[in-house]
Amino acid sequence: MSEIILNQVTKNYGKVQGISEISINVDPGLTGILGPNGAGKSTMMKMILGLARPSMGTVTVMGKDPFTDWEQRNKIGFVPEFDCFYEHMSGLDYVSYFLRMHNYEKQEAEEMARASLSELGLEDSMERKIRTYSKGMRQKTKVARATVFDPEILIMDEPFQGADPSTRHLLMNKMKEWSEKGKTIMISSHILHDVENLTDRIILINNGRMLASGDRHEIRKLMDHIPRQIKVSPIDKANLRILAKRMLDEEWVRAARVDEEQGEILLETDRAETFYLELPKILQKEKIAVTKINSDDDSLDSLYDKIVGGSQWK
Amino acid sequence: MEISNVFNRSKNLFPPILKDCSQRLLVNPLTWVLVVIMLLPCFLGLWFYYEFSDERQFEEVDGEKVYYDNNGGLLHVELREAFLNLSSLFIVKFIGVLLAIMFSSELINEEFNRKTMQILRTTPIMSLEIIFYRYVTGVLCMFGILASSSIIMYIVIMLGSGIHGIIEELEILWLVIKIVLFESIAFLGIFCLISAYFERPFLLGIVYWIIWEMIVSGTQYQQITVSHYLESILFDGLKDIGWSVTAEDYGLTKIVNNEVVNIATEPITAMLVMIGIGLGTVVWGARGLGNRQF
Repeated sequence: MSEIILNQVTKNYGKVQGISEISINVDPGLTGILGPNGAGKSTMMKMILGLARPSMGTVTVMGKDPFTDWEQRNKIGFVPEFDCFYEHMSGLDYVSYFLRMHNYEKQEAEEMARASLSELGLEDSMERKIRTYSKGMRQKTKVARATVFDPEILIMDEPFQGADPSTRHLLMNKMKEWSEKGKTIMISSHILHDVENLTDRIILINNGRMLASGDRHEIRKLMDHIPRQIKVSPIDKANLRILAKRMLDEEWVRAARVDEEQGEILLETDRAETFYLELPKILQKEKIAVTKINSDDDSLDSLYDKIVGGSQWK
Repeated sequence: MEISNVFNRSKNLFPPILKDCSQRLLVNPLTWVLVVIMLLPCFLGLWFYYEFSDERQFEEVDGEKVYYDNNGGLLHVELREAFLNLSSLFIVKFIGVLLAIMFSSELINEEFNRKTMQILRTTPIMSLEIIFYRYVTGVLCMFGILASSSIIMYIVIMLGSGIHGIIEELEILWLVIKIVLFESIAFLGIFCLISAYFERPFLLGIVYWIIWEMIVSGTQYQQITVSHYLESILFDGLKDIGWSVTAEDYGLTKIVNNEVVNIATEPITAMLVMIGIGLGTVVWGARGLGNRQF
């Protein structure tokens, strides 16, 4: 059984619709929720955390209603997008404070907090007041607070926002590590690259509606009727126009554009499988050697562009 | 079962909340602005002391100096009235209420503003635990500040009547301390309730105070106000000390069939009502907090 189940969930804030009729099952491992700002990612996460109630539909986390079953919150860690600190506390005090809320004894809480903060590279600054922390240190402190009690489920809302490259790298490694331990991790992001590096399992949402969910390659296959762009770079630039003209003879090639500067041809096809099958044969026949054949269309950027036009992506 | 769990958890939950919340309340500049305002009458007392201390007459009784005014009246009897009037008007009815509004806002509403309430709501504790320990911390801090200020005010005002006068009228001080304790219990609960439900507790608190505690408390429906019970405790306490007071002096009357009727509540009942208000509003506030969505 999936750890998190959303069944036909709709959430309205007065007349404004937060999310609409979303149904997903989230299994252990890493799942990325992708969508532009205001797509409904945070709303979805709040309902999983029991911070908001669905207007319609049901949310089940480990078989229970997260809004009413407060006791199981000791199995869920939350890294919010926003700052949520007691600025007068030190990082150590802050993490210990929330561990005490999880019913840990003072000594034990302090030791656990110290270990967690050290693991995230804050050993030298954990005794400093949070008000003196940089954005990256704050992010690490939030992650330490959310993971220190070893939750089964980890909900991370834009965890890389404002993080410097080293923090980003560290957090990514940690997430992979936790995921390998069998934890259920849900990450929302509007930075496609971050999620792409972590997982293939994605949920795409926009304007409160789920556009697609599953493996990003599978999603791409489902959208095979949508034209795909593939770049082909011949070794000899003199072959650019010859190859482009030859490719346009095929019925499965919809368009071809030559980029002399980059030394590549951008081909558009609506039958990707045939394209990849036939292209090598054509190249062999025409005796054209190429340095690379690649498509950016498997990237989430392109997936998103295909589905929603990318106009709201920031 | 659940009650025993709550009790067992309290040893881990209450100390950090007490430490953090009391620190937040005590380092808040507004707290100290209110404390300074509250102690302003003390400066008046000190001025009075230095201005008129030479004119006092005294006699020694068993080695103690007993001071008299120019008319031969006991000075501490005059000064105790000044203390009672200043403390009940200034500490209880004015600063006490403002302090309760400010504390509840800092304890509950500020957690919403800082968004730490969202994090607290993702921890495995009940909404009642989130609000109750904050409430208890608030009561302790508010009572501590009001009681200490009352003691300082008492000493400064009674200074003119010497050590004898200070010791002689201690019962008035205990009575005022008892009143600020129950005021803290009741008002903080009410304002925590407002903070749990509404986004602008400061404004609503002041509206409640003016409409409910200042206007309604002067009418025949005063028994639905906290002020009525505070006045009842004060009235009964003064009677016990031996002061010559009437229910009318404290507005604890209403007219029934053209007759003025004493409606002062028995002190024990009044205290129980205050505790009931405090606990009831906290439970009600926890319900609001539990149902609040983010």
